[in-house]
Amino acid sequence: MTNSVSRREFLNLLGAYGGTSAVLQAGAALGFMPSSSQAAEIALQANSGKKVAILGTGISALTTAWELTKAGYDCTLLEASHRPGGRMFTVRSGTVIDEIGNYQRCEWDNDPHLYFNAGAARIPSIHSNVLKYCKELEVELQVFVNESKTAWVQDDAMNGGKPVRNTDYSSSMQGFISEMLSKALGDSQLDSSLTESESETLLGMLRRFGDLNEDMLYKGSTRAGYGSGGFLDHGTKKDVVALRDLLKARNGGSVMVTTQEGTGSGPLLMQPVGGMDRIIYAFANRLGDRIKFRAPVTEVMVKDDGVEVAYEQNGVTEVLKADYCFNCIPSHLMSGIPNNFPDDYSEALNYIRRGRAYKAAFQAKERFWEKENIYGGITWVNAPIQQIWYPPHNIHGKKGVVLAAYNFGGANYTEMSQQDRIEDLLKHGEKVHPNYREMAQKPMTIAWHRMNHMLGCAPRWARDRGGWSDKEEQMYETLRQPVNGRHYLIGDQSTQHSAWMESAIQSAHYALADLDQRVRSEPV
Amino acid sequence: MKKFVTATTLILSALCSMASLAAEGDVGVAAAMDDRYCTTCHGAEGIGNIAIEAPRLAGMEAWYLKRQLENFRAGIRGTHGEDIQGIAMRPMAAKLSDESIADIVDWVGDWEYVAAEATVEGNVRQGRTAFQACAACHGANAQGNEALGAPALAGQNDWYLLTQLRNFRAGFRGSHQEDTFGSQMVTMSKTLTDDQAVINVVSYINTL
Repeated sequence: MTNSVSRREFLNLLGAYGGTSAVLQAGAALGFMPSSSQAAEIALQANSGKKVAILGTGISALTTAWELTKAGYDCTLLEASHRPGGRMFTVRSGTVIDEIGNYQRCEWDNDPHLYFNAGAARIPSIHSNVLKYCKELEVELQVFVNESKTAWVQDDAMNGGKPVRNTDYSSSMQGFISEMLSKALGDSQLDSSLTESESETLLGMLRRFGDLNEDMLYKGSTRAGYGSGGFLDHGTKKDVVALRDLLKARNGGSVMVTTQEGTGSGPLLMQPVGGMDRIIYAFANRLGDRIKFRAPVTEVMVKDDGVEVAYEQNGVTEVLKADYCFNCIPSHLMSGIPNNFPDDYSEALNYIRRGRAYKAAFQAKERFWEKENIYGGITWVNAPIQQIWYPPHNIHGKKGVVLAAYNFGGANYTEMSQQDRIEDLLKHGEKVHPNYREMAQKPMTIAWHRMNHMLGCAPRWARDRGGWSDKEEQMYETLRQPVNGRHYLIGDQSTQHSAWMESAIQSAHYALADLDQRVRSEPV
Repeated sequence: MKKFVTATTLILSALCSMASLAAEGDVGVAAAMDDRYCTTCHGAEGIGNIAIEAPRLAGMEAWYLKRQLENFRAGIRGTHGEDIQGIAMRPMAAKLSDESIADIVDWVGDWEYVAAEATVEGNVRQGRTAFQACAACHGANAQGNEALGAPALAGQNDWYLLTQLRNFRAGFRGSHQEDTFGSQMVTMSKTLTDDQAVINVVSYINTL
């Protein structure tokens, strides 16, 4: 074990660093926030008298229905399932998880604090349209703690498989990165693009960022907490975990960026008090009997003067005739519903792949994490369960619901039996918390790939990890144009940043703006 | 589902609709479920869905559908590690009761048969020659033959036929020792010497 890093070692680790000047030039963009920082102003032409069919009750559909209803449109929503909300789904006492082949009914204690957001779970500050509706519909929000430095990082390959505190990992990693970069600053290739004064500023920042000593070496930091003392007695530093040992954890990247990704993560996120579906029901209860449940769509026909939608309810096939149709049915389910969409539109619809995601949660007999100084946040585990979340609400209450797995990609959980899924989460969780198995009551699991009327999680557009191809951009634009000016595809499938409520809402706003323009331009 | 509706389904669905619209705060209501999940994957009225790789059920013979559901339930089909689509189907069938299977078969029988759209293009002439071996059991017009346990192939989604023939050839389907008919297909599928032959024969079936 060695605590400092040689330049050669650093250069070997870093590989090459040709991009510095490019990064500096990119600084011009600082100061701008993503466009979503502004909530949309919706001003639809009122009392058009138009009839609108809305397919599905995901948040894009509910947004559409709510805005149109306020403007006096006559809306009907068709929902195949027994519940509204699609992938905004909260599990609590009595909830049915309608996973095909794995029907589960939640038997947790009937307590408002005990719930599990099985789909969308976090609201970032910059998702202004989600926040706008929460405010408008009086959905009470609370802070969601996305990162706890006292939570754990566990990898079988690191520290003999014993978990280390997030702060031990991140403080040391920050220290080592700073130490290596300060050494590299002397290198002519790197500092050629910096003035002397800039170099000095950077060195000063690195020293503080990494908590380096006067020799610009990382020798541990009290940021990771004290080895002993710290209150009545002087605190002592903990032993430093060697860089090589830290690098054995293969999930370190996730640990280091949890609070930093501007598009959706952050140190401060929010959640509705009582569960994410409070937003859904805030819409749904206002829309009342405009929503038809257990009414799967069986045909969508776009006509010259409107759209005809066939659906089944109570064993009877009905036809809903409307002037316009807004459709958030997942694309992979639409390909099993007869329609008369143009070929290029169908091709684009069929191109989108259904995403896999898996979550699991249990009711904890006691709030055992609080005894380990953890209050909210995420433990990162290098196993398919990937994450363990501790509830940030109801601190010091009796019980709490622990999110015991969140695999965005789904791993092979979809194919596993409920019994195997439960054993898997317990087996990996008890590497972090020795009493995990004893604490876990009535685990619930959800494989979105098999959820009835969903069969998938966030849609996936780009085949290549490097980004969207021209062909994909083209297909995306095809789907953003209404069929015959009558049928709009909405939902996060019709956005370039899927998996977020904000995206789905913005897709609805985009379509509504188009509709409004058409309605306004019609001869009176 | 046009005619065959149990009273229970009607009552429960009505209850669920009302419960879902209960006062704000009364959320997460339980819903009673039946086993009629088929259309989520297999498309409206069982027309098949290529995006889910779930074949058409509309028009499928009752005796064949029943046998396959029973095979899935018993693990005779859908348990081979390489049978990806079969593995997806198996959990759906695993929990079905005899009554549920009978209900599903009746329900499916109510759907209107519409021939699937052709998506596979191969050498029809060569496919026709190869099909002679198939015709012995499945009939000259691929109309199926219950007495021999051979289902209709005409009108089925061609991408599904392709997958199944490939699975039979590779032994991903039909290798279970209790799969009497499937094992016959494993043997017969080997008369198709390569993948192109599989494509050709499916292309010919498309013409029937």
